Amino acid sequence: MPKIELSQEALFSYLQTRMDDVELEKLLTVAKAELDEPVNDEGIVKIELNDTNRPDLWSTAGLARQLRLHRGAPMPDYGFVSRPGEAAETGTRRVIVDAGLQAVRPFIAAFAVTGTAIDEALLNDLIQTQEKLCWNYGRKRRSIAMGVYRSDLMKYPVRYVAADPDVTRFTPLGLTEELTMREMLSKHPKGQEFGHIVADASAFPLLTDDRGDVLSFPPIINSARIGAVEVGDSNLFIEMTGTDMPSLLHACSIVACDLADAGYTILPVTIEYPYDTPVGREVVTPCYFQTPVSTTVPYIEKLLGRTIAGDELAAGLRRMGIAATVTEAGVTIEPPPYRNDFLHPVDVVEDAMIGLGMDTFPPEVPSDFTVGRLSPAELFGRRVKSILVGLGYQEMIFNYLGSRRDFIERVYPESEWEAQHAAHVQVANPMSENFEFVRASILPHLLIAEAGSANAVYPHLVFEVGKVVRRDATDNYGSITRNSLGMLGADAEAGFTLINSHISALFYYLGRDYTLRESGDARFIPGRCAEIVVNGMAAGWFGEVHPETLEKFGIQVPVCAGEIDLDTVQGV
Amino acid sequence: MSANDILKSLHPLEVKVLLRYGSNDLIDTTRIQEDLRFNLGQCNQAVSWLTAKEFLVEHERVHRTVYEITSLGEEFAQNGTPDERILAFVQEHGSATLPEIASALGLENRDVGSAFGSLSKEGVLAMDAEKRVTVASGTPSERMREVRGLLDEAHGGKELAADRLSAVQNEAMAGISKKRGSAGSPFRLVERDEVTYRLTDAGMDAQENLKTAGVTGEEVGALTSRMLKDGSWRTAQFRAYNINSPPSRTLPGRRNPYCEYLDRVKDKLVSLGFEEFDGPIVETEFWNSDALFMPQFHSARDIHDVYYVKEPAHAREIEEPYLSQVAATHEDGWKTGSAGWNYGFDRDFTRRLILRSQGTVMSAKTLPKASIPGKYFGTLRCFRYDQVDATHLSDFYQTEGIVLGESVNLRTLLGFLQMFAEELAGATEVKYVPGYFPFTEPSVEVHIKHPVLGWFELGGSGIFRPEVTEPLGIKVPVLAWGLGIDRMALMNLGLDDLRELFSTNIENVRLRRGN
Repeated sequence: MPKIELSQEALFSYLQTRMDDVELEKLLTVAKAELDEPVNDEGIVKIELNDTNRPDLWSTAGLARQLRLHRGAPMPDYGFVSRPGEAAETGTRRVIVDAGLQAVRPFIAAFAVTGTAIDEALLNDLIQTQEKLCWNYGRKRRSIAMGVYRSDLMKYPVRYVAADPDVTRFTPLGLTEELTMREMLSKHPKGQEFGHIVADASAFPLLTDDRGDVLSFPPIINSARIGAVEVGDSNLFIEMTGTDMPSLLHACSIVACDLADAGYTILPVTIEYPYDTPVGREVVTPCYFQTPVSTTVPYIEKLLGRTIAGDELAAGLRRMGIAATVTEAGVTIEPPPYRNDFLHPVDVVEDAMIGLGMDTFPPEVPSDFTVGRLSPAELFGRRVKSILVGLGYQEMIFNYLGSRRDFIERVYPESEWEAQHAAHVQVANPMSENFEFVRASILPHLLIAEAGSANAVYPHLVFEVGKVVRRDATDNYGSITRNSLGMLGADAEAGFTLINSHISALFYYLGRDYTLRESGDARFIPGRCAEIVVNGMAAGWFGEVHPETLEKFGIQVPVCAGEIDLDTVQGV
Repeated sequence: MSANDILKSLHPLEVKVLLRYGSNDLIDTTRIQEDLRFNLGQCNQAVSWLTAKEFLVEHERVHRTVYEITSLGEEFAQNGTPDERILAFVQEHGSATLPEIASALGLENRDVGSAFGSLSKEGVLAMDAEKRVTVASGTPSERMREVRGLLDEAHGGKELAADRLSAVQNEAMAGISKKRGSAGSPFRLVERDEVTYRLTDAGMDAQENLKTAGVTGEEVGALTSRMLKDGSWRTAQFRAYNINSPPSRTLPGRRNPYCEYLDRVKDKLVSLGFEEFDGPIVETEFWNSDALFMPQFHSARDIHDVYYVKEPAHAREIEEPYLSQVAATHEDGWKTGSAGWNYGFDRDFTRRLILRSQGTVMSAKTLPKASIPGKYFGTLRCFRYDQVDATHLSDFYQTEGIVLGESVNLRTLLGFLQMFAEELAGATEVKYVPGYFPFTEPSVEVHIKHPVLGWFELGGSGIFRPEVTEPLGIKVPVLAWGLGIDRMALMNLGLDDLRELFSTNIENVRLRRGN
């Protein structure tokens, strides 16, 4: 979820009103936004935007537009956005695309702006918009990358070409010497960060003007001259390249509408492709690519839970910037050019909810009758817990992830490590080796707890009822999750006799029968470990923990422990 | 403490001391031992307790050097010193060699030798030419008489104060005493402070109160089985206990307070008509995200957000027709009325095994077999690729649920949220704000005002998108909700670090109080 920093003064200026934090926080909810940090000494507020499908809100102008509309401001007119197939006159403002790009980075959208000299706040806002759009919405520049240039230094038409990375040289922004495009991948910080997007291509994307002067190497870095926009510039050229036409056109409209709101005149640009695109071979951008969405008033009423008059609905949608035609036959909305989050009529329902206001939907007590139930495993687990508590045990609860060292190496002798490793579910991308394995047994956690609790008054009797996961080749997922009881006693007197009597009491009060057979489990002292058998199935084990295991955990009192597969004992 | 409480707080030993003495009496441990037949330990206890209560105050402290008779001294007092015995032997049996005397008296040769040395110097005994000891003056020396006097005086355990002994006695004592810790002497030299006490005014008040209440210190402590059998309890006076004395610690078997909290939440949801679901910790991308209509290219699905299982990497299969229906919905909306996400659904990636990252997995998995109307919930362990700190855990609980029904809508959703806020969190005020979740539309966050802790986010909710429900065979609206249960538990337990919920420290868990 993106967070943006913006000038509070700029926000109030776009809103044409001022407000305190409480009022601002309340208003921000209509944009699913939260005041992350109130205004600081530099006049900056931090705002978190929760809707990842509304990149139009990730800038001062865009956020202010939604807030202003919801307060009743009239819908803005973005007449510079052309319709597909519309022959808008753009003069010399053209971008000519080279056929070699189809396999590399096929699409581009562009426009120019002219107006007053750009100030620092607007430049910072533009850079932030570029970052948020390209990082969060453009998948870290993979599907959208954006460049801004000083159009006074350029000569149209702009050429978008596939260049030889080892021959083409220019001075990238931030450096003073010329490098080949391939050298930039390793020598320029942006090349190191984003180079992987194009590194495998035989030709690299390059933007030049008609004279061959370089604008940029998208999606990596601008040139040091035409691409070095500064405070005071008043004529800019803005382009976006990418791999997905709808999101590219969407991003282009967002930036154009923002700059229009900032008072700039938007000058569309014609793009000429030598190959087919979803919007044709010649397209004027910014371009309206959205399609109208149709639904009905009853559909909206059914989901929102109350009747809504037609004009009330239209007014509500208008507060979300949506032009809607509401008739007996249905509701048709046209998404504004800066939005592309209407996949289904249900998306109109949500905008209606926000536009009408949450306060207009009083909570209603649900009337459907249903029977509540705990799961059988939960009920059985609770019986087990109450018996263990009666036997004097303290209940513990542990995290399920741990290390190979704790789950395997400290518990088992080395001869068993590989077999035990294979029985555990291992994480392929662990954050650290401390959270690399899912536990297959509760015993390691009980031993960890004992090892860290030598200062606690003895005797120690602890247990946990929880899940364990074991590899199982017969399962569709290759592993099974089981409900398990782990119990441990530690004390000078703790031994087989103690745990044996507790296991016996547990089964007695659970009303379950069991038999024991000798077990050669290496975690226990030979001859002092029993396997529990229920209905002919192995259901657990208990015994005196081997001193070698205790030593590896640094435990200096005798320990007896047991673990029972509750699903087997319960009989499910 | 009231006067009554003070009386009850007195031990019988204290009571007896308080009752025995007057305001002018100077009290010391020796006197108490004699007067009340206490042993020294009881005496010291009574004095230290009464002093702490300021019923007794130190009157005077005198440094004393005293001689205590040892067990050897007691034996000498009774059976004679070696000097006395040698003299008596020679007077009785006639002359004898030193070894003969030692052997006959059962003494060490060197002890007999050194005794003879002194006796010979003092002219009591002498040695003839045959090295036989003979009687000289035959009269005990002054030293012998002094030693005998000291032994007789101290016999029976009496201490001898150095400042009460004459110069001659002190000289004799120097030869037969050693400091504490040394063995083999008839007397032990002890230096100590002797303290005398007197009762304070408060002590006299307490004495008065004891007399008024008729407390004697002879009351019975424990009721015994014998007293019940023989009926002697009828005449017994039972000592009143100080009910405010600190109780001793016990180590009970006990539930974990965090688990108890989770149980209460589950019970509450059951009482609201919800049925519990559960499922495996290892899941597929299909159920974790694809079935929830999160596009496979979504930024939240990057490698660094979920834990992938190393082996096996993929499930063998995903159940049909759900796989095909979900895939089609992603690609072009299928029959849901949606435009879909417009990309090629990856049927290998969807089988990728992961550790469940959100409880909504089980909500989705429950849909195909759900009843209508139906309400379901689960409290499920979820796993996230996060740096573990006070606010992030590698694995944690989420409580999630769904409500299916022809008549459910936004307003019934708000009705449930209000119920959760009031019933589960004790909220005094509830606020609903638009939210964003990839799988619900509309989406609503619920914020509540806790009477103590102020406003916080209770959870998220919404109506499942048709792209979620219809491919799983559900045609009615489905409300979906999730509660930040671990955070609520922290508040409930008065903790501020999520790691504390899963503490491995037994003492911490034992000491944690419930709420």
